[in-house]
Amino acid sequence: MMAADTPSGSTTAAGSTDRFEDVDWDDLGGLGLPLRTGLLVAVSAIYALVVTTDVFLTEGSVLSGTDWLFVLTLLVGAFFVAWPLAENRRLTAYYWRRFKKNRAAVVSAIYLLVVFTVGTVGPWLIAKPELNVIAAYQPPVFVSVDSSVPSACAGAVADGMCHGTWKYPLGTTSEGKGIAKLVVFGMRVSMQVGLITMLIVISIGTVVGTSAAYFGDLVDEVLMRYVDIQQTFPTFFLFLIVTYLFKPSLFLLITIFGFLGWGGIARLVRSEALQRREEEYIRAAENAGASDGWIIRKHLMPNVSNTVITAATLLIPSFILFEATFAFLGLTDPATPSWGQVIASGRGDLDSAWWIATIPGVFLFCTVLAFNFVGDALRDALDPRSEGDA
Amino acid sequence: MSMLWYVSRRVAWAVIATYLILSLTFGLLVVAPGDGQTAFAFKAATQGGNVDDAKETFDEITGRDEPMLTRYKNYMVNMATLEWGWSYTRNQPVLTAISEAYPYSLMYALPATLISIVLGYAIGLYSATHQYTLTDYFGTFTAFFGISIPNFWFGIMLILVFAVDLGWLPSYYQTGKGVWTLANAKQLILPIIVLSTGAIAGNMRYSRAEALEYVHADFVKTARAKGADDWRVLVRHIFRPALVPLMTILVADILGLLFAGAYITEVVFQIPGLGLLSYKAIVQQDTALVMATTLIPVFIAIVGNLLQDIAYTVLDPRIDYGGR
Repeated sequence: MMAADTPSGSTTAAGSTDRFEDVDWDDLGGLGLPLRTGLLVAVSAIYALVVTTDVFLTEGSVLSGTDWLFVLTLLVGAFFVAWPLAENRRLTAYYWRRFKKNRAAVVSAIYLLVVFTVGTVGPWLIAKPELNVIAAYQPPVFVSVDSSVPSACAGAVADGMCHGTWKYPLGTTSEGKGIAKLVVFGMRVSMQVGLITMLIVISIGTVVGTSAAYFGDLVDEVLMRYVDIQQTFPTFFLFLIVTYLFKPSLFLLITIFGFLGWGGIARLVRSEALQRREEEYIRAAENAGASDGWIIRKHLMPNVSNTVITAATLLIPSFILFEATFAFLGLTDPATPSWGQVIASGRGDLDSAWWIATIPGVFLFCTVLAFNFVGDALRDALDPRSEGDA
Repeated sequence: MSMLWYVSRRVAWAVIATYLILSLTFGLLVVAPGDGQTAFAFKAATQGGNVDDAKETFDEITGRDEPMLTRYKNYMVNMATLEWGWSYTRNQPVLTAISEAYPYSLMYALPATLISIVLGYAIGLYSATHQYTLTDYFGTFTAFFGISIPNFWFGIMLILVFAVDLGWLPSYYQTGKGVWTLANAKQLILPIIVLSTGAIAGNMRYSRAEALEYVHADFVKTARAKGADDWRVLVRHIFRPALVPLMTILVADILGLLFAGAYITEVVFQIPGLGLLSYKAIVQQDTALVMATTLIPVFIAIVGNLLQDIAYTVLDPRIDYGGR
């Protein structure tokens, strides 16, 4: 799906001296990718096997449904983003040169990488925050509050002021849970919601959009009329109804937003693919006897992938915000520690313990802001058409 | 194909969409495990009633003991005739509860909408005509800030600073202070800021991108060459063509943004409008009220989309309405 299948872009874009017709594509491994395809099949088979055993056949599964979806998302990312980028060095370098022009985006990307790594690995290394009434309302380090605020100050007490300790670097909540730990667990939830939902949305959106554009006529009409209906129903309120009628969970949120949120991407892809469909290489492929599936997979999808990636990056923050909002309203599974939930828990203590509602919000805000910056820079880097007028 | 034909087709489509959505919600209500029966029985039990009797009463009121087709027919007829049921937590008809609540929503949503349109478009146009200046970068940064900050957290932070620390403004909304009073205005300031920030950012981005298409257009250069001053160029030659897509964006997208934003704003500031009514209904398991308060924004979205499409065809002569 990623730019792996457009090596012509790399040659021309990098301004190489190779002549186009001299390039031996099989030698470059740009089109065939037998190793990747083989590995992909093997990994998918193993994944399917493990998930079936874990979720359906054994009691008490190791990972939850959401975790398994997250693993799938990471695998897809490794195969369709990381691998092609590693293989097409020149193209990667070209994109990187364009991307790094935007310094805010580079900083954002580093921040997101840290949040992603800590959020993915962290929850396995540290214990889940536990209820501990004695440790309630501890201030963060370098911050002091009146010693009447915490029930028992864990740090040094001087002049009637309780100072924060490194035991609770970001302080504790009214339940005595360490906010630093909650923030790490919240990172995982936010990353899971953002990335998994994005994967579902772009998968369905791309397939529907390219099919509608390629087949046209009745297929186009049916698919796009369906998208019309889906788009009129605001997902926010649909999720409110569903979460009211059924047991709320992270899995439900991801599926609702994933399976009902792809309308915009489908429309975008369709309009982009409609232009591509008229181009000569599609006609050439058709005349050479390529099947519909082949043309969509090998010619349409790679050529709309840049648009899709940019739009997808800008969609992630909205999913993260939705999750935080619903968690804040208390309409998600209370057992899943999320940033929105911590902010809600600190709402009643604003006058005494301001840090409870403030700190998780800073992380939430920075994450959303970083995704927006990166998405904006990706648009400039990946879309040659936006050059000049941006 | 005439425009009348297009508009009537579009209206028919909106009716079909409404019908499908109502059917979908009916389907959800049927398959859902908990739709308020338990809460109703619990309420009866706490008041000394019999749980099984209460469950039966609930089934009778909601008509759950009847065949599926009858239930579906009743549901549809009730929806169409505005018989939206009884809110047992508030002991009043659902529509009465809503008509009592919506003025509170309007009190801050209308000013927020106006502010976001005026400020958003003004900054967007200024950014577009002064591209790559310091003000433009500042505007772009503000837009990023506005779309990235979570509404509810922004509200809490404003309460923390302006109500708790500085004590200038009340930290939550209190009813009974009149409508056109200073006290009421003071307690509406923070909700209006929270609600309009995101919308300003959205409007600004759209209007900047839209105006940029015309800033370097030939007819703008011609106007400048003929000696039109900056203001005239901006208002008559850039703003006018840019207004068509901006107006249509306004109807649907801003409406959606405001509704979802209003929901959370009301919960944060405890404003007894539609959002808080709906939220309380969800927490207290009042199914009829939940359905009504969530379906109203959905219907408004459908009508908004309809108006957007019609406005587009009426305002923009280039649109070809043969295709759809």
